[in-house]
Amino acid sequence: MASLSEEVLLVLKKVRQKKQDGTLYLMAERIAWGPEGKDRFTVSHLYADIRCQKISPDGKAKVQLQLVLHSGESTTFHFSNDSTARKDREAAKELLQQLLPKFKKKANKELEEKNRMLQEDPVLFQLYKDLVVSQVISAEEFWANRLGGLNNTDPAVCNSKQEVGISGAFLADIRPQTDGCNGLRYNLTADIIESIFRTYPAVKQKYCENVPHNLTEKEFWTRFFQSQYFHRDRINTGTQDIFTECAKQDEKGLKSMVVQGVKNPLVDLQSLEDKSLDEGYGFSTPLPSTSNCNRSVKESSNYAIIKRFNHHSAMVLAAGSRKGETDQGSETSSTDGNSRDSDLFQPPIKKVKLQEAIEYEDLQREDGPKTVALNLKKSDRYAHGPVPLQSQKYTTSQDIINSVNHVRHEMTNYTPNLTQVLTSAAATTAIAALSPGGVLMQTGVHQTINQMVPSDFQGELKHLYSAAGELLRHFWSCFPVNSPFLEDKLTKMKSNLERFQTTKLCPFQDKIQRQYLNKNLTAHLEQMLQAAYSKFHIWQTRRMMRKT
Amino acid sequence: MASEDEISLLVIVVDVNPIWWGQQAQREPQFTLSKCIDAVMVMANSHVAMSRTNKLAVIASHCQDSHFLYPRRSHGNGDNGDDASSSGDGKYELLSVANNIMAEEIRNLMSKIEVKGNSTDTLLAGSLAKALCYINRVSKEREAGQDIKSRILVIKAADDCSQQYMHFMNVIFAAQKQNILIDACVLESDSGLLQQACDITGGLYLKIPQKVAIAQYLLWVFLPDAEQRSQLMLPPPAHVDYRAACFCHRNLIEIGYVCSVCLSIFCNFSPICTTCETAFKIQLPQMVKGKKKKLKVS
Repeated sequence: MASLSEEVLLVLKKVRQKKQDGTLYLMAERIAWGPEGKDRFTVSHLYADIRCQKISPDGKAKVQLQLVLHSGESTTFHFSNDSTARKDREAAKELLQQLLPKFKKKANKELEEKNRMLQEDPVLFQLYKDLVVSQVISAEEFWANRLGGLNNTDPAVCNSKQEVGISGAFLADIRPQTDGCNGLRYNLTADIIESIFRTYPAVKQKYCENVPHNLTEKEFWTRFFQSQYFHRDRINTGTQDIFTECAKQDEKGLKSMVVQGVKNPLVDLQSLEDKSLDEGYGFSTPLPSTSNCNRSVKESSNYAIIKRFNHHSAMVLAAGSRKGETDQGSETSSTDGNSRDSDLFQPPIKKVKLQEAIEYEDLQREDGPKTVALNLKKSDRYAHGPVPLQSQKYTTSQDIINSVNHVRHEMTNYTPNLTQVLTSAAATTAIAALSPGGVLMQTGVHQTINQMVPSDFQGELKHLYSAAGELLRHFWSCFPVNSPFLEDKLTKMKSNLERFQTTKLCPFQDKIQRQYLNKNLTAHLEQMLQAAYSKFHIWQTRRMMRKT
Repeated sequence: MASEDEISLLVIVVDVNPIWWGQQAQREPQFTLSKCIDAVMVMANSHVAMSRTNKLAVIASHCQDSHFLYPRRSHGNGDNGDDASSSGDGKYELLSVANNIMAEEIRNLMSKIEVKGNSTDTLLAGSLAKALCYINRVSKEREAGQDIKSRILVIKAADDCSQQYMHFMNVIFAAQKQNILIDACVLESDSGLLQQACDITGGLYLKIPQKVAIAQYLLWVFLPDAEQRSQLMLPPPAHVDYRAACFCHRNLIEIGYVCSVCLSIFCNFSPICTTCETAFKIQLPQMVKGKKKKLKVS
């Protein structure tokens, strides 16, 4: 039942749901519907549970609104008020459109994260299927350790998104199209508008001043594009144009930027001047002053365009570095130069720049960590391999001389007799020894275990191992048991282990037995579980003894 | 099947320690050094006959020296032409040439042999090193595009020499780096070093129960090369004892103490490492002082 403190945002009468007349209530956190004449709500959904809403198309006779929940169910409301059905539905739809996004993000993000983790890691997915789907442990315990920092770092994550910069060519993207009859269509998207506002705060100022009091948005932009401010040749026309002030401000900004100059003392912009007479004619001596009146008409229009370009680029760069400051019209904030004035700050900057230019980090002398020299007293010990001291066979020198003489004598007349190398008897005994089952082949006969056990058993065994490992990890992490929370968890984990054993391990063992396979496959798993049980038993008895 | 361009080089290192062979000849007259060399020749001929591109080298290793039995070092005069005389029984000329060279060389070698001092051990590590150098040279001399696969077969007679341990290990690791297999055919007593060599480089270790049938064992087990061995049922690898020996008693131990500074191994704890003289501090448990009992003065 609706609590009295809930704020009701919208009430719509004559809304049918499942062929029953009733009233639809939209509250601050949920939407609810109650049948006519009754006090209670039969249908109530939190906005957080609703995934999306759908409306029936306009042409249909029935005016309907459907809510689809995250869990997949859907509820349909039929607006049956003859006169205002469509309006009611529109009102409900608008309100939902505003409210749903607020609640959507919180629930979604967790689910999305979980889904993403399960999809990316098939091992995790398998573990999830083995443990949670078969009800060995609950989903919360499973996600307890894994989601970890997700909820805590939510605000931090949002803020660390990077800001999108401004494309330098955004004005060019506007690209007018001819309208057929002497007109031009300019396509303005929200992105372009935002870029214009960020780059030219003066324009933004004008916009705020004039819209919506004096001009509509469309008119503002029409004027903008018509004004000479926007076009190339900025010859100042009459004061009708609201943008002439902008032009004047731009000029002021440009002048101040020029005055500020560049912070790097090693860069001298003044020496970069065009000094050519004409193309291919070399340099001329620089004129002492280049005031406007000395220039030709062509030069002054070039000058205007160049000035425009420089100004535009400077504004784009400045907008990028301004990053969310909302000071208006401070075009001089492009360089955060307030320190240029006093000479006090000059030397350190210059020194830093000079040092950067002449020193290289790689060429510095390396100050490695101090080491102690190795001082070996008996280094011959290393030369002896792991050959234990054995008693050497002692041969007398007489024996040695005899043997050597014997061999020498034997080999003086050596000729190879390759037809008498092997007797057949010797050969057959050798072959017998080398054949499977022979003397030399005893140890290699048995097959490795992975050849004997079919692969599906192997796969299942692997899953069992990972599931058991997960449970045992939870179990053993409870020790030492310091808090009642850990005690509860411990008892729960023990029952989980037992449940795991009965539901998963025993059927697997039966399956193995039926196939007459090696029964030792699960011996190790059982050993691990037994160790856990005995530890639990010991802990329990100790606890009993401590209490009594 | 090996492609036409693949060269397979087999280097046979034969242990011709005269002391051991002399004693062996007195023990078992039916298996002497001549018989052993015959068997090695059979093996060598078989290897060369397997493919046109197979190469061979044989090194004899004894107490003073390691000597190449085949190929003979050319003296610069190009006197290879003399050896081209056929053996008369229609044998493949390369084989007869090889056999003649080997026989001549071993005769010369054994006639000049003498044992000096107390060096009665076979210089096996040196021979292996020479084999590796030879293999390296051949590999560098081949034409572009030719694969060369090499292996070393060691026929071991006398016992291990423990002083050659470091050199042996160096040789083994060098062979492993160059993907050269080291096979071992051991005649009398098991050799731990060769077991390790075979294990590390991926070769086969075999101790032969019957020495007279050595040719059969060589042809059965050691003639196929590495690729073919995976298709055959060959004796399984032996269990290698990799236990370390402690530095104080040279006992083989399974659990020991290692000095963290010089990595020397000890079987018992001592507060100072005897090799690098580092002192180790270990916290001893607190000793509870007993109450002093007052002596009753009677």
